Amino acid sequence: MIEKTNIIDLAIFGGNKLFVTPKSTSNLLQPDIENFLEYSKTFFEQQQYTNNGPNVKLLENRLAEFHQTRFCVTFSSGFWALAMAIRSLALKGRTEIIMPSLTYRRMADIAAWVNLKPNFCEVEPKSLAMSSATVRPCINENTALILGVHPIVNCCDSEDLVDIARKNNIPILFDSVESVYESISAGKVGGFGDAECFSLHACKLLNGFGGGYLTTNNEDLAIKLASMRSFGFVGVDKVGFPGGMNAKLNEMHAAMTLASLDDLESQVIRNRERYYAYKSLFNSILGIRLLEFDEKYRTGYKNIVVELLDGWPLSREDTIRILNEENILARAYYYPPLHQKPMGYPSVSANLPVTDILAEKYLNLPCGQRVNNNDITTIVEFLSFISLNAKLIAERLRKVETS
Amino acid sequence: MTKGETQFAILGAKPKFDAPIPIGQLYFPSWKRYEAAFRGIFERQYYTNNGPLLTEFENKLQQFFGVKHAICVSSATLGLMMAVDAMGLSGKVILPSFTFIASAQSLSWAGIEPIFCDVDSVTHQISIDKLDALIDDQVTGIMGVNLWGGACDPLALERYAHSRGLKLYFDSAHAFGCTVGDIKIANFGSLEVFSFHATKILSATEGGCICTNDDGIAARLRSIRPSYGSANSITIPKVANSRMSEAQAAIGLLSLDDFPLNCQKNETLFRKYEEKLSAIPGVKLVKPKGVTSSNFQYVVCEINEDVYGISRDSLIAVLKAENVIARRYFYPGVHHSIEYQTNSLGNAEKLPITDSLCKSCIQLPIGAMVDSNIVEVICDTIDKSHRDLALLKAYFKEIDQ
Repeated sequence: MIEKTNIIDLAIFGGNKLFVTPKSTSNLLQPDIENFLEYSKTFFEQQQYTNNGPNVKLLENRLAEFHQTRFCVTFSSGFWALAMAIRSLALKGRTEIIMPSLTYRRMADIAAWVNLKPNFCEVEPKSLAMSSATVRPCINENTALILGVHPIVNCCDSEDLVDIARKNNIPILFDSVESVYESISAGKVGGFGDAECFSLHACKLLNGFGGGYLTTNNEDLAIKLASMRSFGFVGVDKVGFPGGMNAKLNEMHAAMTLASLDDLESQVIRNRERYYAYKSLFNSILGIRLLEFDEKYRTGYKNIVVELLDGWPLSREDTIRILNEENILARAYYYPPLHQKPMGYPSVSANLPVTDILAEKYLNLPCGQRVNNNDITTIVEFLSFISLNAKLIAERLRKVETS
Repeated sequence: MTKGETQFAILGAKPKFDAPIPIGQLYFPSWKRYEAAFRGIFERQYYTNNGPLLTEFENKLQQFFGVKHAICVSSATLGLMMAVDAMGLSGKVILPSFTFIASAQSLSWAGIEPIFCDVDSVTHQISIDKLDALIDDQVTGIMGVNLWGGACDPLALERYAHSRGLKLYFDSAHAFGCTVGDIKIANFGSLEVFSFHATKILSATEGGCICTNDDGIAARLRSIRPSYGSANSITIPKVANSRMSEAQAAIGLLSLDDFPLNCQKNETLFRKYEEKLSAIPGVKLVKPKGVTSSNFQYVVCEINEDVYGISRDSLIAVLKAENVIARRYFYPGVHHSIEYQTNSLGNAEKLPITDSLCKSCIQLPIGAMVDSNIVEVICDTIDKSHRDLALLKAYFKEIDQ
């Protein structure tokens, strides 16, 4: 039960914070330390700390098996996995990359690193996912690549996106960072398009201290990227591919990811419990709609996203400020959308009325391994409390601002 | 001669070593220290993004270098890539071709055309007197490279860059802990980038750091790296995700504790090589030059085939058969690699000293996996290869045909 009975108890008005430790939207999975140390022993005993070490090899096999793809290539981050994959796949001589605007805040920066202009597309209002219909208006003779990015709850229709890419002879790469565990009707995420990219950041489903990986069924691409992440070397002293850099995953990070992978099935059960706790509690609150996972197919139940409906009595900005002050680190869903941000590099000018509206409505709520059922009850009860007292809160907020 | 009588593994004898002796450095903490460090990380549940170990590591590095800012990154290559936007470089940058390919790749990724300069035949460092000929109105900076635990005369380069209105920074991947006068390398030019790869004396398995005394550059670098939260108030063209994790920082900290010991071990081994190799005709050990103290992390020799008797590549084959992983380093020269050989810069043929060094240099093992006896055996093999020339020459002639 929350101990706030009056609005002056709110942290934003000087009251105690609801949580002593912040409740964030980061997953922060802690795999079993003994298991991590066991994997560490392998590289320690072989005295190989990086450069395609034993854990990296094992991890790549395990992830390829998990995603049911022929190949997996690991990287030091998802960011550089994407950059190198785009660089390898983009049609030469073309200048634009199609990507959603309502997505990861650094996505356009990745395009800038590979000298492509982002051409931002809309997403479907119902699913927040891009589709062939939202991509089609962006396709032109300059399109070098389509970057299919899954939203953080449920997936794009990958088949539909691959279809439009193939019909136009344009390569398609998926950013599936939030869809590690998911399946769609056509199969498991990982095997669609030319390749799919994932992240091993601590905030993601698999915690590798940081890192990333790519899955593909294209052998040439896998060989090329495994070389490019290591300066383009294909043998001793021989550089076989231009465009290399250092984006190798070290052995400690690989060991951590392996330990995280071992825990994955039980993590998903824990995530499901959290999701169901939120779901049952949100039934009773007006003005908030929980984005529901499509349980027809496999899902990781990781992220908790809500839509603030017209009946919600506070602005999203105020809601977030109030929550953050209580140490509930709720965040606006992909805000601002990329096309609204100032960019220090060229992009195709975009008019995205649907995205503009969607960008104001959604909220990520605390999730992950450090949020328990009691926390969820507290968070939802708190939302209920501020909803019931919204008028007074809004008045006091304005009063505080003007004084 | 029959198999049983030869001393050389390449001719059929038993290899001198059962397992490969790698090139180095590969220092790593004991299992006990490793385990303790990671139990700490798991207790704190802080994995990356400016964590407590990262902060401690950066503070200690700043003290160690006597520099205002040490900014850790996930690799030295990324550090060099970030330097371009942080310093505001554009157009072309001059650097030596006698360097690891990542120096040039960092420029290509950042949209800068690398212009290769030749090096000095004695020091192997960039030839300052050859820079004038390479400068045009598109050149905005110079990347000095501190090689082999020595230095490329950073003070002279600073004076030169200043006189030509160019920006100057350093790839100091080889130079951790080296000193010029009483100043640690890390304090020269606009910034310097170090590598903490496992093969370097300071290891974080992978990683690096950027050192600068310029507050503005430091603020831009931190925003480019970037971190989550509110610290990124500086406007930068684009980010380049390159955070160092708590795992890497943990190893970096332990490695920093071990630096004096490891450095001493390197020096002892280096002196042993020096003593043993000095008597072999045609083998010239490259001593760290331009520094008052070195980390001795590289043992590089020039092989003069005419005097020594067999070629550098043949010697590598002889050593490899003994399980000594000697390397051609650097080879074939960045300007001859697939990425740069067709470069429009047109000065690739004008690097005669670089070309000659790429043909004659050999790198020998030093570091965690090497001890005094191993150095002795390696040097003996190099010595005997010279003495038993006829035998080896006949062998290599045969395989050539």
